[in-house]
Amino acid sequence: MKHASLKEAKELKDQTRIDFKMVTFTLAGKDYGIDIMKVKEISKASKFTFVPNAAPFVRGVYNLRGDIISVIDMRIFFNLPAEETESNTENMIILRLDSHIIAVIVDSIDKVVGISSENIQPPHPLFGDINIKYISGVVENDGRLYVILDVERILGDEDQVESRASETVPQALSGPASSQIMESTVAGTTSAVREDVDIGFIEETLITFLSFYSSPVNHEWIRNRFNSWKKQRGEDVQLASEQDAEAYLAPFASPFSGTYWNSDYAMKVASFLPSDHVGNYYVWNPGCKSGYESYSLACLIKKKMPDVHLRIIAHDNDLIRISTAPGLVVNQTSPGDLYDDYLVEGNRGKQFKKEIKDSILFEYHDITHDNTLPKLDLVVMRDTVSYIAPEKQQLIFNTLEEVLKPGGVLLLGTHEQPVNPGAWEKIENSGVVAYKKK
Amino acid sequence: MRVEYINPFVEAAYNIIKEVLQTDVERKDLYLKKTTQPVMGVAALVGLAGDVEGRVLIDMSQETAMKIASTMNGEELTSMDELVKATITELANMITAQAVTKLFDLGFKFDLTPPSIITGENMSVSNADVEALIVPLEMPQGLVEINVAIRERM
Amino acid sequence: MKTTSDFPSINERTPDGQNNGGAAFKVLVVDDSMFVTKQIGQILSSEGFEVVGTAADGLEGVEKYKELYPNVDLVTMDITMPRMDGVSALEKIIEFDKDAKVVMISALGKQDLVKKALLIGAKNYIVKPLDRKKVLERVVSVLK
Repeated sequence: MKHASLKEAKELKDQTRIDFKMVTFTLAGKDYGIDIMKVKEISKASKFTFVPNAAPFVRGVYNLRGDIISVIDMRIFFNLPAEETESNTENMIILRLDSHIIAVIVDSIDKVVGISSENIQPPHPLFGDINIKYISGVVENDGRLYVILDVERILGDEDQVESRASETVPQALSGPASSQIMESTVAGTTSAVREDVDIGFIEETLITFLSFYSSPVNHEWIRNRFNSWKKQRGEDVQLASEQDAEAYLAPFASPFSGTYWNSDYAMKVASFLPSDHVGNYYVWNPGCKSGYESYSLACLIKKKMPDVHLRIIAHDNDLIRISTAPGLVVNQTSPGDLYDDYLVEGNRGKQFKKEIKDSILFEYHDITHDNTLPKLDLVVMRDTVSYIAPEKQQLIFNTLEEVLKPGGVLLLGTHEQPVNPGAWEKIENSGVVAYKKK
Repeated sequence: MRVEYINPFVEAAYNIIKEVLQTDVERKDLYLKKTTQPVMGVAALVGLAGDVEGRVLIDMSQETAMKIASTMNGEELTSMDELVKATITELANMITAQAVTKLFDLGFKFDLTPPSIITGENMSVSNADVEALIVPLEMPQGLVEINVAIRERM
Repeated sequence: MKTTSDFPSINERTPDGQNNGGAAFKVLVVDDSMFVTKQIGQILSSEGFEVVGTAADGLEGVEKYKELYPNVDLVTMDITMPRMDGVSALEKIIEFDKDAKVVMISALGKQDLVKKALLIGAKNYIVKPLDRKKVLERVVSVLK
C-alpha cells in the first residue's frame, strides 16, 4: 500500500483528534464498546450470590467493597448465546451510571480504544443482534466494527433492574452463612485494574501520536514513568494531545540522541568492545537517523581498534534524515576530543576524514523487510525497536540471534531491554548497559 | 539501498521522461517496497552489475505503455505490439544508462546488462524478496514507477 | 529583363542527406532496438539520407557492411547489443575498411567505452535520447 507523505500523515492525525475512549469487549463473537466515562473498573469474579425470583438476566449480587451491586449477564439480557468457558471466573465490567453502580458480565474484555467521535455513525435498524434503542452508534477502528452501547438506556432505570434484585437481597444476606456466600474470589485488585486501564490508554495514545509501541522491550520503563507522570498530573493522567504524548515520552530518549556522543559516554561504550580484535569488524546500526550515532561509533571504534577493517552498516527508513548522513558536516565548535583526530577542514566546515567516511555505508532501508547482513560483531540499535510494531520486534530479535556472533555486543536504548533476555549476558559500565550474546 | 544511489535514479528518471515525452512530469514521494515485484502489467528491466548486484525496472500499465510509446513514436499505437515493447524497453535502457553515468561521476562503477521486457500474467521477476526503492512519476499518459533494487556486495 | 532563373534560390537548400551531386548518402543502421532503428531511420530519411540496411547486432552489422561495401557512406552503431557489442563490431569494420565512417550511439555517456571507440576509429558519438537536431549535426559533421 502506498504510504502518505509525512506531511499528509501528520495532518490526518491532527484532524482526527481522539476525544472518545471506550472499553471494548465481545458478546457472542461481536465487538462492543462502552464509553470509558461510564466504566468504574474491570474485574474477574467467580461467585455471586444467586438471587431467586429475579429476572433471568440478573445473575445475582456482588459485594464491591461493602456496596451490594447487581450483576447483569449481558448475553442473557440480549438473548445471545453465552460462550462456554471452562473457567469459573466471569469477565465483569463495573459501570458507574448516573444513578447507581451495576456490574455486567461479558464474554471477554478486549482493550481500551480511542477514536474520534466524528467517526461514530448512527446505528442502522437492520444491524446487529440487539435492539437498536440500546445502541448509541457504531464505529470502525483498526479494521473492526464496534457497536457502542448506551448503557444508561439499557441499565439506567434502577427501579426496573435493581428492584427485582434488591428486594430479595435482605433475605439472602441475613444470617452468618450468607456473609460467606458473599465472598467471591476476585482475580484483580481494583486499584491495579484502574491503573491498567489508564496505562492501556496511554499506550494507545503513544502509538497514535508518536508511533511508539509499548512491549516487553520497554514495558518496565512505561510503568515506572506512569508513576512519576501521575505525581505530576494528579488525576488527569490521560494524554490529550500530541504535546502531552511528547512530554510523557521525553525522558525515554537515550543520551546524545541526534548529536555526537561525548567522550565519556563513548569511552563507556568502548569498554564493552574487545581490544584484541583482528581483521574485519562489522557493525549494524539500524535507526541511525541523521548519522550522528554512526560517526560517533566510527570514531570510538577506530580509536580503540585502529588496525581493524571497520564496516558500519547504517540503516534508516526516514529518507530525508538519512540522505544528509553521508555528507554530514561538523558545525559545532568541538564535539569532543575523541573526534579531533578524525576531522579535516573543508570549505563547508569540518568533515570527517576519508577513513571514517569509507567505513560507514548509509542505506535507506526498512529493517522490517528482509535484511542481508554479514556476521556481526556489534549492533547499536538505540530507541529503534520501540518504534516498531510488537509483532515485528520479534523478527528483529530473531535476526539478531542469527547474525550476531557469539560474544557479540548489543547496545539498545537506555530504557530498552531485549525481548529474549535468556539469550544475553548483561554488561554494565557506570550506568551504561549493554548485552553480550551468549 | 545506498543513499548515494538514490538521487541519480530519481534525476535520470525525471530527466529522460521529461525529455522524450515533452510533457509535465510530477514526482511523487519515494518509498520502499518489501519486494521488487512489478505490479501494473508491463515491466521493462535492465540488470546492474559491478560492485553491486541488482536491477532497474520500469513498471506501468498496458494502457500507459501504449500511450507513452505512441508519444515517443509520433503515431497512435493501440496494441502491445513489438514496437511498443521495443519503445518501453528503450525507455528503461535510457533511464538506467543516465543513472549509471551520474553514478560513474560519483565514483561508483556499474555495468548494464541488455534489457528485457515482461508483460501480463507471467510477471514474476525473481524468487528472492529483495527490497525495492520506488520512484513514482505521474504524467498525462499515466503512472510510471521506477523500481530499483540494488544489493551491495558486502 | 531579369527572370527568376537569374536570382539564386534562397528558399531551397540541399538537404543534409544529399551530397553536392544530389545523390543521397547511404547509411547502415546497427541497433538491437526496433524503436531506435525506426527513429534514426525517420530522422535521416526526412533529410534525404537513404537507409540501405539495418542490423540487430554487431555480428550482423559487420556482415552487412562487407556486403554493402563500397556503397555505404556512414554507419550508426549502438554500443550495447547482444552477440557482438558495438565496439567490437566497430573494430572489425575498421579492420576491413580503414576509412569507414562510424558514429556510435549509446545511452551511456562519458564512459571508458566512448574513449575506446573513438581511439579505435569511430568518428563521433551521440548520447541518447536522440533528437533530430543532434543526430543531423553529428552525422553531417562526419560526412563533410
